[in-house]
This record gives sequence, C-alpha cells and structure tokens, in this order.
Amino acid sequence: MALLKGTLDVLVLKTLSWTPMHAFEITSWIEEKSSGRLVVEDAALLQALHRMEGRKLVAAEWGVTKNGRRARYYRLTTTGRSYFRAESERLVDHFDALTSVLSARKTAS
Amino acid sequence: MPFSMRPGVARLFRLPLRSRTAIHADIDEELEAFIASRVEDLVARGVSADAARAEALRRLGASLESVRDQLHHSAEVRERQMRIRDYWDDFLQDVRYATRGLLRRPAFTAVAVLTLAIGIGATTSIFSAVNTLILRRLPYAAPDELMTMSLTTPDAGGRKGRNDMVWSYPKFTVFRDAQSVFSSLAVYSIQQITTTSGDIERLSMEFVGATYLRTLGVAPIRGRDFDPRLDEHADAEKQAILSDRLWQRRYNADPTIIGKTINLNREPYTIVGVTPAGFTGLSGQSEIFIPVTTRPGKGDLDEAQSHEFFLVGRRKPGVSAAAATAAVRVLGGRVYSAFPDGRFGNGAAWGATARPLDDVRIAPLVRRSLLILFGAVGFVLLIACVNVANLQLGRASTRRREIAVRLAIGAGRGRLVRLLLTESMLLALAGGIAGLFVAFLGVHALSTLNPAVTSRVARFTGVGSVTLSLVSLDWSALVFALGLTAVVGLVFGLVPALGATRTSVTSAIKDGPSARGSGSTTWRRILVVAEVSLAMVLLAGSGLMIRSLSKLLSTDAGFDSRGVLTARLSVTPGAIPRDSMPLLYAQIVDRLRALPGVTDASLAACAPLSGGCNGTKIEFKDQAPADFSQQPNVGVSWVTPTWFNTMRIPLKSGRAFTTADRVGAAKVVIVNESAARTFWPDGHVLGRRIGVGQGGFSDGAEVIGVVGDIRQFADSVAKPDVFLPYMQSPSGRMIIFVRTAGDAAALGSDLRRAVHDVAPSAPMYDVQTMSARVASSTAQARFSAALLALFATTALSLAVIGLYGVMSLAVSSRTREIGILIALGADQGRVRRSVVGEGLGLVAVGAVIGIGGALVCTRVLRTMLFDLTPTDPVTYVGIVALLAAAATAASWIPARRAARVDPVIALRAD
Repeated sequence: MALLKGTLDVLVLKTLSWTPMHAFEITSWIEEKSSGRLVVEDAALLQALHRMEGRKLVAAEWGVTKNGRRARYYRLTTTGRSYFRAESERLVDHFDALTSVLSARKTAS
Repeated sequence: MPFSMRPGVARLFRLPLRSRTAIHADIDEELEAFIASRVEDLVARGVSADAARAEALRRLGASLESVRDQLHHSAEVRERQMRIRDYWDDFLQDVRYATRGLLRRPAFTAVAVLTLAIGIGATTSIFSAVNTLILRRLPYAAPDELMTMSLTTPDAGGRKGRNDMVWSYPKFTVFRDAQSVFSSLAVYSIQQITTTSGDIERLSMEFVGATYLRTLGVAPIRGRDFDPRLDEHADAEKQAILSDRLWQRRYNADPTIIGKTINLNREPYTIVGVTPAGFTGLSGQSEIFIPVTTRPGKGDLDEAQSHEFFLVGRRKPGVSAAAATAAVRVLGGRVYSAFPDGRFGNGAAWGATARPLDDVRIAPLVRRSLLILFGAVGFVLLIACVNVANLQLGRASTRRREIAVRLAIGAGRGRLVRLLLTESMLLALAGGIAGLFVAFLGVHALSTLNPAVTSRVARFTGVGSVTLSLVSLDWSALVFALGLTAVVGLVFGLVPALGATRTSVTSAIKDGPSARGSGSTTWRRILVVAEVSLAMVLLAGSGLMIRSLSKLLSTDAGFDSRGVLTARLSVTPGAIPRDSMPLLYAQIVDRLRALPGVTDASLAACAPLSGGCNGTKIEFKDQAPADFSQQPNVGVSWVTPTWFNTMRIPLKSGRAFTTADRVGAAKVVIVNESAARTFWPDGHVLGRRIGVGQGGFSDGAEVIGVVGDIRQFADSVAKPDVFLPYMQSPSGRMIIFVRTAGDAAALGSDLRRAVHDVAPSAPMYDVQTMSARVASSTAQARFSAALLALFATTALSLAVIGLYGVMSLAVSSRTREIGILIALGADQGRVRRSVVGEGLGLVAVGAVIGIGGALVCTRVLRTMLFDLTPTDPVTYVGIVALLAAAATAASWIPARRAARVDPVIALRAD
C-alpha cells in the first residue's frame, strides 16, 4: 500500500525518535513495524530526509554500519522532536475523524 | 562547565557552508550506500546478486540518474536559500552590532554625523544653485540654438569698447533683412508701463518683436501668439499677451480674459494670449508683452541712434554658433555703414557680435560669486571628508585589539570587512539624512535670500530669466556628496583596520590598547595638516570678503541717508508736454515741502549707490578740440536745485543750482570733487566751460559749483560726476527725495496722497527709504561674505576638532613616556608646553601650505573686493592669529591631561 500524502515525514520522524538511523534502516524499520503493509519508495524517502535536514528537523552525520559500511546517520533535532509531536497528534486526530465518518451507520431519522 | 557564548560571537565560529561539490559527493555516496545496503539485505535473504541489484534499483522508484539529479537539484535550492538567509542574518546582525558600537561612542558618532551633514548639506545647496543658475539648460525649446546679438563700440579714451550694446530699431531692421543664419529673430526691450484698468499700477513689461515667443519656442497656454506680420504693420490693432503671473494676480485667472482690454499708458490694448506659468520673458520680470510696433507713442523706432533693444535669435539648423557669430560680425560692418554715427564716429566703427544665450543667462557678477562659493563649498566638503577619514583612522587604531580578538576566535576577514563596511554605511546614512535636512534649509535660505540678482546687473545683461527663486534641491548633488564622504570614510576606516588583521594576533592582544599603529598616527598628522591648510584658504577668502565688506559699509558714501524717503515717479509720456513737466514737478516738490515733518524735498534722475544714471564724455571748450577717444568719461545726473541740500552733500565751492537756472537761461553744470581734482589739478574750476554728451549740453555749459563726492556704484569708490540742472533738461521719469526730521518710512502714505493730489495720473512706485536702498546696494556683497564666513567657520571648527583628536591620541599613547618625564622631575608647565608646541607645529605646517594656496586661490576674488587687494597683509595676519588661538585651545585640553599624568599610575599601566 502506498503512503498517504504528508504521512511520510511523520513516519520518518517517528522512526528516528527511537535512535539515529541511516536511510535504509529507516525504510526497513517502517516496513517491519507495518508488517509490510506500508511501503516507502526509496527516492521519496531520500528526498524527505534531505528536505527535513534543510528545515533543521533532522541532522545528518557520517557514521559506520555494523557491516563496516560508511553511511549517513540521521538524528532528530530539538525542533524536529517538537514538530513530530505536533504533527503526529494532528495526524492521529485526522484519522480518528476519518474513521468515525467512514464507519458511520445509517440511523433512523 | 558549559561554555556559553553570546549568539553573535557563536555565529562567528560557524563553519562555512559546504561547497557544491562536497554536497554532490555526499549525496552520491549516500545513494550508493543505500542501494548497497538493500542489495546486501536481499542477498542475505537468499536472492542472487544480480537479481538483488535489479530489485534495489526497481524499489528506488525511478532511474538512478534521475533520482540523483533530483536530489542534487533540491540540495542546491536549499543551499541557496540558506545562503541568502545567512547573509540576511549576518547583515541584520552587523547592523545591530554597528548601531551598538556607534551608540557606545556618542561623541565620535555625533561629530562624524555632524561633519557629514555639514559637508553634504552645504555642497548640495550650493550645487543646487549653481545647477539652476549656470548649468541647467534654459527653459526654452532647443535652447542651444538661441543666441543673443549685440552691437560693439570701439575702444575709446583708454577704455575698452563695449561688446554688449543694445540695438536701435532701424539698425535691427538692416541686420534682419541682411542676415541668413537665423531662422527667427526678435527684439525685446525691458520697460515699465502704467496700467489704469482698475488700480493704477506700474508693471514690468517687455516690448517685443512679434516673433519673440516663437523664437524662444514658448506657446501661449491661452489665446494665441502675435501675428508675425505685426512687425510690418505699425498701425495694427494694439495687442498684449499677459504673463501667467499677471493673469493670476490681477485677473484672478479669469477664464474669459481673451479679448478683454487693458489700459496701458492710457491706451486700450486687446488681450490676445497668456503665457505658460513661470515665463516672465528673458528679463525674468516681465508681466506683460506688447509688440514693439504698437507701443504707446511708438517711441523712437525711427531713430537710428536710439539704442534700447536686446536681440535674440534662433540659428537655422546646421549653422554652428561660430559660423553664426562670424556672420553677425560681418553684418555689423553693414549695419554701421547704413547708420554711421556722426557724434561717436571719429573713424572707429561700431560692429556687432553674437553669443549663445546661455552665456549671458546670469549677470557675470552673480555667476562669479556663485562659482566662488561653489569652490569654497567644495573645500568644506573636502575638509569634511578629511575629518571623517581622520575620525575613522583614530577609531581604527583603537579597534586593533578588538579586531585581533575577533580573528582569534575564527572570524573571517571578509566577515570583518563587511562589519566595518556596514558601520561606515550606517554612519554615511545618518550623515546623509542629517545632510538632507541641512541642504533643505540651505536651499530654502538661498531661494528666499535672492541677493539683488535682478537689480542693476539685469539691466546690463538682459537675461534674468533664471533667478535664485527657481533653485530647488538637487538630488544628484546630494547623492554625489554622500557617496564621496562615505567612500572616503570607508577607505580610511577599512585600510588601517585590514592592516590590523594582517598583524600578529597574539601581539595585538598582548600589547593591549596602548600599542597603536604608528603608521596611522602619521597619517592622522598628515590629515590634520591638510585640514588646516584647506581651512586656511577658506579663512583667507572669507577674511578678505569680510574686510572688503566692512570697508564698503564704513566708507562714507558722501551723503546722509538717514531720514530720507525716496520714490520713483513717472509722468506718462504724452499726458503732459515735456516743457510743462518742470512746472508740474515744481508743484509736487512744493506740496511735499508743506507736509508736516518734512524739512526738504527735491528730485533727481537717479539714486546714489544704484549704479549711476548715465555715463557720457565731456570736452573742454577752452582747450583745442580733443579726439573723441581722448575725451574723459564722466557720470551724469539731473537734479533739482535743493537736491544736494536734501541729501546733505556739501557744496565745496561756487554755488548750487537755483530756480533761475531754467530753460532759456545760460546753461550751467556742477561737478564733484573727483572731477575737479582730475580735470583741473590747478584748482581753477569755477567758470570753466565744458561740453557734456547728454541732455542737450554738448554745446558747452559753465561750471558753477563743486560738490562733495558721492558713490554712485555700490562696489567702487567715487568717480568724476557732472550734475545738470533738471529745469534746463527735463524728463518724465524722476526720483523724489524727501527729508524728514522723524521716521522716513512712516511718511509713505502722506507722500502718496500729496503726489496724487497734484498729479493723479502719475504713478508713484518703488517707495523706499534711502537707507533701504543703501542696504540693498550691498546685498550681493553681504550675501557672499556671509556664506563664505559660514563656510570658513565650519572649516575652522572641523580642523580644530581634527587637531584635538590627534593631540588627545598623541597624549594618551605616550602616557608612559610622559610619566617617566614627570618622574624625572619635569614640571607640569614643561609638559603642557611640549604638547601645545607639538600641536602648533602641525598647525604651522598647515598654515604655511594654506597661505600658499590662499595666495593663489583668492586671486579670483580680485574683482569682488572693494578697495582691497587679495594679498592684504592685515587679513592674513588676522587669520593666522585666529588659527593660532584656535589651535592652542584645541591642544590645551590634551596638554592639561598630559601634565596631570600620575607617574606611578602611568608606569604601572599595562
């Protein structure tokens, strides 16, 4: 299932809120947590990471993976953390509203 | 312990933004690592290496190249935005920092801003005047094509002939019919005329050729222009074109004005047009224009020797000014041979010449004084620049340490330059705003001051169409002056500051503020010397002008102006026969004498100090007839018998005129002392017979009296004058002189009523006390002297400020040395003397250079000085004394500080 617009950023930030990760770790983690239901397109993920880096929501640093490969590790900044909190609340709220509308039953009027 | 820093400082640490290649490399490596990770992951799950790679690329969502390019592109955009944001942040931060820095040194900032304001403001206002009066194109269509033609007279009596003689109408017609270089020509003559429609009023007007407006390229905004054929038809209907000013003023902008009539000198004229706003003829003061062929009484249009017309023409396309001038010169010969002048002839021929109209747009004296003021204000601007440079230099040397610290914590030089630049720009901006204010005041003052531009000088040059009242603020001058001062301040602030960034950081920090670049101190000394010498030149100029003015004001004009009221009276030509004028005037004088408080009343053709009446030649009847060119020049005036008494001009010998000296009686004249001394050194004056070239006195008249000298010209000493008895040579236009025991100005309404009772149709105008006439005769000199004095004072103040700054610095940087001196037993007096002596030394060098410059520069003042040479020693001694006093004062304060140095503290410092 492809991602809804606007949710990718929040998902990535959520991922990074555990620990700094590199791009591939992020996409694997999302896939794993969603049991494969959410699939992130790789190009989109990289774009999102870079965009958020520009907005100073995340910061990047070169590091070494457990396999001994050089990789760019992203971590959440203070700004990113508060942005994530506000955005995820908004998103949850949004889906909540969506759910109640879509699951409404026809009642006698 | 956490190390916290003020944000501004932390900012200076920030690593520079990544370069473009670095960003691209990062992206490429990340992308490659990402794919490698996925392949690794897939291979770990048992997919073959090739299939894994294909799958990794598929999962990317697009081709590798396009993903890479996209990432590169968006990274670049982000980078650019960050750069702009950073730049802007830096800028705001620099502005904040510079503002704080400037506010922390209020004295420095105030002096710098004030200096800039004065330099910029003064330059802008004077340049505005120069631009309007001298540089800007005349407000007519294609003004470069316009030329003015005049007749030339031969050299005579050791004096150069005139090259600005006006034309007579017959001479003009000969010229007009023979010429082929001008597409259009028009005469004009500046006159006054009386209107009797409504309130009786005397109007300034021009009699013009019918093609006058066409020649200038000015079209009426209402009605129509004169028919060009009017020049040929002397019996045409009488017509007039009003100036916009008169239309507004007298007719309240009546829209139905065209076709109405206006009575001028008792004759009705049809109003056919109204000129555009601001057009007042080439005279700059005309309110109404009348074709010369339809003027009242026609005057002397047939008189070949009645010279009264200026001539303006528009060159044909393709004819150069030089070619036109050459053609006019040739035609001058033809005009002369058509009307050779018997009386003035003597073989030497008159000629004609032409000049671009632009060359005569303003009186030479005004042009000269404006250019001199412009030069002077340029000096003020230079001094302002030097002063700002000096201030910045002083600041740069005290900042050496600050800059070194900034460098030490990692600030780039570029960043520092930007900071200093911002500071200079802020300073310039503040100076510019204040300067704008000064310029605004200056221009306003100039446009209202109007130093008698249109008085006597306009009569000789004809063109007064540009006046100071037109002056408005010149923005280009403001920007120029602002830019110059800012750049100079910048250079002198930046260069030493950057020099500081090149020196060893550690030594600058360790040495502390007392170790200053000796180089900049030398520079500051040089600047002070420059300031002093520039100020010296200005002081010399203004000193000369002030001394000249005080001589002018204190020189006895030869008469007593207190208690005298004057007014011009003009009996309309034709209203009264010429022969009965003396009777009418006698009645007026009698009537005035009877007024309460009036002790005496009389008439004269001209008022003293107003540029004289007429000039002519005299010949000595008891000597062999001399060649015309050898005959001496004299001023000539017409007076009634008691005029000398009214003006309290002493009778030195002989008798004054009496009422018996009338038409028909033997002709008599009175001369002044200068004439008596010059022409008859043996003292035998009375009884001599002289012929006077005017007023019908050329056949000879007896000298019956000698009176004291009076000055006819405001800017020169008395010259030989001859007075003719009015009763023997009457004219319609005279000036009334009334002496009262009380307040002359209060007599105005009585005077008006008395004249109206006797001669209701004769307009009286230009009512002024004689004291006011005397004052306005020196207006130009006072104007120039006041402005020059203002500039010189400014220059001196700036130089003194500069000197004070340098001496203060010299003392504070030598505290240790002075401390040692005092510890070794030098007394306070000696220390003070050495500091003051050093200051005076600098001033002496500047003064010597300045005097040299002044001796060269003040030569331009020669013609403007009254009874004074530009090398006047008294002036120079005076200004040197003034400068020495100012310099001593400026050095005294630092000297006192030096003398109070406590050796213990001084030696312990650092």
